[in-house]
Amino acid sequence: MDFLHALTHFTFMQHAVLACVLASIGCGVIGTYVVVKRISFLTGGIAHSVLAGMGIAYFFNASPLIGAVVTAIIAALLIGWMNQRFQENADVLIAAFWSCGMAIGILFLSKTPGYNVDLMSYLFGNILLITRQDLLLMLILDIVVVTVCYVFYKQLLTSVFDEEFARLRGINTQFTYMLLLCLISMTIVLLIQLVGVIMVIALLTLPAAIANQYVYSLHKMFILAALLCLIISISGLAISYKPDLPSGSVIVLLTCLTYFASMIARRRHLQ
Amino acid sequence: MKNVVVDIDNVSFHYGSVLVLQDVSLQIVEDEFIGIIGPNASGKSTLLKLILGLLQPDKGTIRCLQSPVGQHASKIGYVPQHITFSRDFPITVIEAILMGHVSRNAYCFSYSKAEMEAAYSAMQTLGIEELAQRQVGALSGGQLQRVLLARALVSKPEILLLDEPTANVDIKAEEDIFALLKNYSEHMTIIVVSHDIAFISGYVDRVACLNRTLVCHNTESISGKMIEELYEAPVRMIHHHH
Repeated sequence: MDFLHALTHFTFMQHAVLACVLASIGCGVIGTYVVVKRISFLTGGIAHSVLAGMGIAYFFNASPLIGAVVTAIIAALLIGWMNQRFQENADVLIAAFWSCGMAIGILFLSKTPGYNVDLMSYLFGNILLITRQDLLLMLILDIVVVTVCYVFYKQLLTSVFDEEFARLRGINTQFTYMLLLCLISMTIVLLIQLVGVIMVIALLTLPAAIANQYVYSLHKMFILAALLCLIISISGLAISYKPDLPSGSVIVLLTCLTYFASMIARRRHLQ
Repeated sequence: MKNVVVDIDNVSFHYGSVLVLQDVSLQIVEDEFIGIIGPNASGKSTLLKLILGLLQPDKGTIRCLQSPVGQHASKIGYVPQHITFSRDFPITVIEAILMGHVSRNAYCFSYSKAEMEAAYSAMQTLGIEELAQRQVGALSGGQLQRVLLARALVSKPEILLLDEPTANVDIKAEEDIFALLKNYSEHMTIIVVSHDIAFISGYVDRVACLNRTLVCHNTESISGKMIEELYEAPVRMIHHHH
């Protein structure tokens, strides 16, 4: 009840709900690719290295979100390039990016006055502080992600399903791989607003993984994962409001619980 | 005199320090049905990948349809021995088969009417049209092999390459698939890799025996001695009556 009251009376709550809607679109589409290509660890690496960009931007008094977009894309291209170049060490490489990005971010944030509050909101998200500008940026990211995914749907699907066959058909699979990583990095920035860099991986994998248990087509998975993400994030927001719990954590916890419940229900059903 | 469609000239290939193929030369003509046989790790799949342009030879040249490899992607069909995808990959049979139409200029979401018709007619030929909406991961080995074959056929290739197409299927399905290939070979060049010489010799026009180096035989001339030389071990010949 309090949540509905807040929703009708306060712009910050309207912004928060709108942010959930925008984040869910990217989450559904790109989360699906992360799950079917099995690159959640790599995605986690990009997400954590984004903190470096946010820290640097904050230190120089620029918009942390713009910093996040720029670093996310740089990190994606670097990880992608190194991953193809030094394939045997992919695992360690991701770990290096993961920790290095966080270290740089925290160093810069620590040298900026009043860092504590902001550090927490970057790490764990703060959906109630989302501004009109943030929403605009999220909308732009969504439009880019959805448009690119639509235009390159066949090439991405073929590359992800059977890379060798894609190469035979003349598709530049290095390009599609890099493109996918860039799309992932943009979606990470979308989701950071909701749950922060630490927990972004939950929203980029679990809703799509749940959807994967029920539908057998990529485009159906996009839609189901986005709907799940939307329902879960708004429910999390509503639950966290009255007792004043951190909304990001509640959303992530709810996502995990839904995933486990779905997994158990599915097992039962199959037996 | 028929046109040479695949021209392999003095090709060698190493994986690291291991010499896999040595001075291999082979000319394959239009509408020929050729079997490449040899023991495990004899370089059969490597030779296919070289023809496809997925690997580059260390020495020698390969030309397909009178051009360097890789320039006629749409005219060459390929059925791999196995594909590595997870069982829960969200893709239906029809979507996987339609992939045979994808090219570097394939954009957006939908396929044309002609592309859909080609996919359905390939499924009909292979007797898998009722599987159209099934998830690929839920298919049996034989069904999956037919789907991969259909995917290779939709683009109406001039050359069809198959790597152990019947490794994961039962005898009945194996006979069905080869009978079908025999049909197609009237207007298509087919190159099939196999380790089962006794079986394929009933279908193919010519057999290339590969064990790092390559020797060709017409199917009539295959003898027990020749197989022993190839496999470097005694092999039992089995005569069977159909």
